[in-house]
Amino acid sequence: MHLYILYIDPGSGSYLVQVIIAAVLGLAVYFKNIRMRIRSFFSRKNKDEIPPKDS
Amino acid sequence: MADHIRHPASYKDPSGFIFQASEKFYRQVNKIYAAHYDLLISSGLSSLLQQKKLLLAHKEVKENMLHSGDWYLTLLPEQIPFTSYPYEWCFEQMKDAALLTLEIVKLSVDKGMILKDATPYNVQFLNGRPVFIDTLSFEKYDPSLPWIAYRQFCESFLFPLLLSHYHKTGIQPFLNSYPNGIPVNVTAKLLPWKSRLNPGVSLHVFLQNKLSKKSKNAGQVNSFSKNKLLNLISHLEGIIRDLDNTDKTEWSNYYADSISGGEYLGKKEEIVNNLLQKVDGRKILDLGANEGFFSHLAAAKNFDVVAVDKDDQCINTLYKKIKEKNITNILPLCIDLLNPSPASGFAHNERASFGARIHTDAVMALALIHHLAIGHNLPLSRIAEYLFGFSHQLIIEFVPKEDEKVQLLLQNKKDIYPEYTREHFENIFRQRFTITEKVQVPDKYRIIYLMKRSTET
Repeated sequence: MHLYILYIDPGSGSYLVQVIIAAVLGLAVYFKNIRMRIRSFFSRKNKDEIPPKDS
Repeated sequence: MADHIRHPASYKDPSGFIFQASEKFYRQVNKIYAAHYDLLISSGLSSLLQQKKLLLAHKEVKENMLHSGDWYLTLLPEQIPFTSYPYEWCFEQMKDAALLTLEIVKLSVDKGMILKDATPYNVQFLNGRPVFIDTLSFEKYDPSLPWIAYRQFCESFLFPLLLSHYHKTGIQPFLNSYPNGIPVNVTAKLLPWKSRLNPGVSLHVFLQNKLSKKSKNAGQVNSFSKNKLLNLISHLEGIIRDLDNTDKTEWSNYYADSISGGEYLGKKEEIVNNLLQKVDGRKILDLGANEGFFSHLAAAKNFDVVAVDKDDQCINTLYKKIKEKNITNILPLCIDLLNPSPASGFAHNERASFGARIHTDAVMALALIHHLAIGHNLPLSRIAEYLFGFSHQLIIEFVPKEDEKVQLLLQNKKDIYPEYTREHFENIFRQRFTITEKVQVPDKYRIIYLMKRSTET
């Protein structure tokens, strides 16, 4: 353990990890949105396909 | 001035402090905190949180009671009848306290404020629910910065909960060893390998641990945003909501599982109900409460009950029950009578011992004495002396050696308890109490007594 750690504000040491976690969470949301968009694109396509089959 | 006592634990924050005057707790707001306090009020955050019962209600007293030069305002908060500490809470209580803290952060950010610290000592239990008590924890929010109290939140809420979840133990042993939170490097070592498979754990524990070793510079961060902060808070919320330490112990379902379960309980219920009617006052301490069957009887008779048991799972079950039924007058706590919470903190006076906090009119000790006397070799005289220290009235059960449960205790032990008899028990307790009622549980050897302090009868 380095001595300087004992002297810095205990809260500020955690800033970096929050920045990284927020970035990871942001990416997770980004990919989730893409996945949702792809899924809704295909499900819309499926819906378009279904009526002709029924009629 | 003479009867004004500054609370010994209230020294960390220059924004103000707690003091006691004529048996009431007050909070002084110092000038240095004035702008933040005014924002707390003018933003509507204080009234919103009080209305949602998340923040302890308080009245402003415009009197400088301590004649202090730093004085800005005095607050008279709603009084907490029994102060409890996180190392006395069960898992679910801790979980609710953590979720309360996160909820307050979310609501605060919306009103342009944030919590500058996040410790479970800022939470107390009132009317069955957790409530945030530190009115001076709020500060103006700067959206460009991450949450200053994140690490403290992790160490004092998230990590104990995670360790408890993965090891299926209570949180008390962890918080007794680390009353101010468990450091990230210790948590990382104590968590099992499989916890790394949980993305939340790998980010908040293992990544944080790695960074805490490396970062030489606290880092100049000014690229955060409100959105990022809210994502982080929701992420923590999601992780905590999924945690659960349920495990079967020897004490869970003690009554339901006992051979003579239902019928025996019915008879005992009738006896205890009768005795409760003869108890004066309105405060009861239920020692060895198990899942609170008898605490509920007392609560139904409008007593304010503090129900203690050493088993975390039992207190968990009791807490869940009172939450579900919306019972406001039972406070369940995990206390081991053989090792109750000591006085702790700087100079031993930041947090009072469990014994020093007991103010009760009566004590219920049902199916407890044989565990202390035979299970742990405590002489009956020491038990009587201990109970006399804080109980004016006792509803106490004597379980003699003939009883099946005592037989069970003696199965693997040498019977070194020749004095453990009903006569000796009565003689010992008569030295300090007067036995006013004595009822035998039908078809059992057990006897339940109502006793009153000798001086008071």
